Amino acid sequence: MYKYFNNIFVAISSILKGMSITWRHMINIRKGNVTLQYPEERWPRPERDIGFDLDSYNVIRSRLHVDIDDCIGCLKCERVCPVQCIKIVTTKAETKGEDLPDIGHTGITSNGTKKALIVSRFDIDMSECCYCNLCVYPCPEECIYMTGGPNSHKHPIDYEFSQYDRNDLIYKFAKDVDDEKISKYVSKKIK
Amino acid sequence: MTVDNLINWFPFGTEWPVLTFVTAVIICALPVFLFIAVYALVAIYAELKISSFMQDKVGPMGQGVGLHAWKFGILQPVADALKLILKEDIIPDLADKKLFVMAPFIVFVGAFISFAALPFGQNIIIADMNIGIFYILAVGSLSVIGIILAGWSSNNKWSLYGGMRSAAQIISYEIPAGLSIISIVMLTGTLSMQGIIEFQSGTIWGVLPNWIIFNNPFSFIAFFIFFISGVAECNRTPFDIPEAESELVAGAFTEYSGMRYAFFFLSEYAEMFVISAIAVTAFLGGWNSPISGFMNSSGWGVFWFMLKSLSLIFLMIWFRWTLPRLRVDQLMSICWKVFLPFSLVNIFGVGIWSLLVG
Repeated sequence: MYKYFNNIFVAISSILKGMSITWRHMINIRKGNVTLQYPEERWPRPERDIGFDLDSYNVIRSRLHVDIDDCIGCLKCERVCPVQCIKIVTTKAETKGEDLPDIGHTGITSNGTKKALIVSRFDIDMSECCYCNLCVYPCPEECIYMTGGPNSHKHPIDYEFSQYDRNDLIYKFAKDVDDEKISKYVSKKIK
Repeated sequence: MTVDNLINWFPFGTEWPVLTFVTAVIICALPVFLFIAVYALVAIYAELKISSFMQDKVGPMGQGVGLHAWKFGILQPVADALKLILKEDIIPDLADKKLFVMAPFIVFVGAFISFAALPFGQNIIIADMNIGIFYILAVGSLSVIGIILAGWSSNNKWSLYGGMRSAAQIISYEIPAGLSIISIVMLTGTLSMQGIIEFQSGTIWGVLPNWIIFNNPFSFIAFFIFFISGVAECNRTPFDIPEAESELVAGAFTEYSGMRYAFFFLSEYAEMFVISAIAVTAFLGGWNSPISGFMNSSGWGVFWFMLKSLSLIFLMIWFRWTLPRLRVDQLMSICWKVFLPFSLVNIFGVGIWSLLVG
């Protein structure tokens, strides 16, 4: 009989104890919050210390980025891509190595090469990209690279690039200029 | 009763008896249905938010595309309801189709017709029957049939288990709930809902409100027995073994989707309100103000009634997010070994009390 009533007493007291705990948590919601509203708030990225410098990496697999001002339109990255996710369209410029400000074309790359081609389309479909890094090696101007890692001085790392629409994963790096403007500068020999 | 009054009030009542009757019934039923729908949205939102707060989360905050859940996710239950309405209504091939289609409506009707006798205010009651509380207890049991039908007709082992467990649970817990109500009826001497509330007006020694829960120690215990049995009848955690996500997927509702699942969901929340409303009526003074003579006019009656009911619903939500699920044998032993003897002693005690004091 004692056990029976003791059991009831223990049940009631432990229920009250548990409910007071949940009540305390409910009242202190803004203080002890354990979740983050992800896209607006993020956890700070921890400092990395894995024994060697960031520059000692030679490969990082994140998002592809192109410095379009340095691109000479040689199509080497397009040809080497195993999944054909890079699409480049070039037209031959009228003059070699001259700036064309109204279509945003720079004549000379940062390596000093004179550009002979106008890159009117440079699309990378990141939904198809297999992150093999093969397009990075042949580039003569080192203008296509993965963001972050050893390239973090050129472009900060970007590994969170999910989109609501698959078409938004096609990154368009070429300057957005309509074809009529470009056609003014196209070499007359080809015309 | 409201329907009879409406029929008498209609000028063409004698010429079109059927039309008049249907119109009068719809006039009474439509506000109740709208009330259940709106209240369910509020309750679902409250449940989402309170559960999150108790677990140190923030709950729905309006992230996402398309229909944004607005500020603090206020439109989240609306989005959920829209999703359930738009979803495909799947009926399994091997299900007993007629029963499968019928089950959600029986469950919902069980919860819905209880609202006919709920006293929302001094004058706001659809049917003030002289057997009001008996009627509510009687039609409340209707939902068991629906849940058993759902479990049986789904032709699925989880559903069948869920249905059987639910039936065993609801039928068992109706006994202590009914016995607690009997002790109240012994005190008040009436089965009418308004009569029970009118018994509770005034104060005890000018301090405490003259609610039945404060009337004597036996009715104080009876309130907790009734309320916990009510939570068990709603199949809510900690008594949710019929649904038991980790064991039975969703119990009797496993095969349901879309609108039919929404009806089960709606009736669960409606039943929660019914249980709270009975507890408020029978123990907490119904539409009486807690302070005698303070805001006690007929308009404020609705406010007090809703306030008390919603606090009890908050208590149910609080229970749910605090206590773990009981095992089947624990559930049955609480009912038969604790609640039943205590409620029998209560009846005896209330009888002695009203003989000596009352």
